[in-house]
Amino acid sequence: MPGARGTTLSRHAHDAPLEETVLRVKALESLLVEKGLVDPAALEVLIDTYENRVGPRNGARVVARAWSDPAYRARLLEDAGAAIAELGFGGRQGEDMVVVENTPEVHNLVVCTLCSCYPWPVLGLPPVWYKSPPYRARAVSEPRSVLAEFGVELGDDVAVRVWDSTAEVRYLVLPLRPPGSEGLDEERLAELVTRDSMIGTGLASSPPAVSEP
Amino acid sequence: MNGGHDLGGMHGLGPIAPDPAEPVFHHEWERRVFALTLAMGAYGAWNLDMSRHARENTHPAEYLDASYYEHWLRALQVLLAEQGLVSADEIAARMRELAADARPAR
Amino acid sequence: MPVLRAEQAAALLGRGASARLPGDRPSARFAAGDRVLARNVHPAGHTRLPRYVRGRRGVIARDHGLFVFPDAHAEGRVEAQRLYSVRFEAAELWGPQAEPGACVFLDLFEAYLDAAP
Repeated sequence: MPGARGTTLSRHAHDAPLEETVLRVKALESLLVEKGLVDPAALEVLIDTYENRVGPRNGARVVARAWSDPAYRARLLEDAGAAIAELGFGGRQGEDMVVVENTPEVHNLVVCTLCSCYPWPVLGLPPVWYKSPPYRARAVSEPRSVLAEFGVELGDDVAVRVWDSTAEVRYLVLPLRPPGSEGLDEERLAELVTRDSMIGTGLASSPPAVSEP
Repeated sequence: MNGGHDLGGMHGLGPIAPDPAEPVFHHEWERRVFALTLAMGAYGAWNLDMSRHARENTHPAEYLDASYYEHWLRALQVLLAEQGLVSADEIAARMRELAADARPAR
Repeated sequence: MPVLRAEQAAALLGRGASARLPGDRPSARFAAGDRVLARNVHPAGHTRLPRYVRGRRGVIARDHGLFVFPDAHAEGRVEAQRLYSVRFEAAELWGPQAEPGACVFLDLFEAYLDAAP
């Protein structure tokens, strides 16, 4: 019985911030800087890293490489951290990675029911819906219904595996390579890899139809 | 703890409603809370599991009502106070000063 | 305590801080394929054992090795615990309301598990 009520609880996602919260954060920052506990320049590096440098394009490059190179795919499934590091990605909230592979018979979906654990080095910071109570509550108990809400309709013959990130292992889904993508190079393939396809709430995009010259 | 954070299987929370064009941060204060939390995590007065516990250790109604970075903000203040680094009184006093500064002079 | 400086921040993020611990002690009590029962416990402190699997039967899918045990770490103690990926069938978790053809994997510490009778 999903989605009956309770929508008001997601009211925070886009509301204007409370003036009190803004003031509180300013007060806290000024005290921490004044006490020498934080370096203001370090704050700018932290923000810039996750706002501008680290995001789902990293994961898309990993997936595109795995689609193009069977030996890389095998390494990725065997030791995800080492294979991801080959492309220069790794670090905080991705120290211990596992990649789970979608097949025509199995669809994988990642969630963190207890907080919002997410593989930062390959996907960046999680979106609001991933952190929201409805996703965290329902992904484990009614994954097919959740997937349908994201527009992913699975046949009855496709098994669903949900990965609840309850410890420090972080999960990335290797989505199915879309039909019609044969012959595309890694750069073109990476453009088909959406963030949601690597969480499991989406599929990789179909390649744009190529018009004959 | 059997807290409001332990959400697997809970009913009545409504649809998921993803925003297809979501920014990384919605407000400047979220950027600041994110960076302050990571910087103070690196400082080492507490570890990640203490942070997680501080975020979940609240009234379940408050947990469900607060946004992600509101959880982070509340937990950061709790940990700073517990470690004797910044007290709630200091924050309240600084908020009054900043509010007074922001008022137009007469 | 070291204040995080701007020139260290990028390296810190790039390196991260794995919760994995070296060595092989304590040795593993379970192996892939073993049937286990998540303990029905209700600790007042921090735990990473969600309520929805407590008292439920699963199967060990993988031994992740040794990690810092969060329940102790939240109280300031570093304790090595073996971490396992455990598979639970949807019907075991959700009974008649379970969706067909679904299962949930959780990463659970050895202290959360007993051998299934």
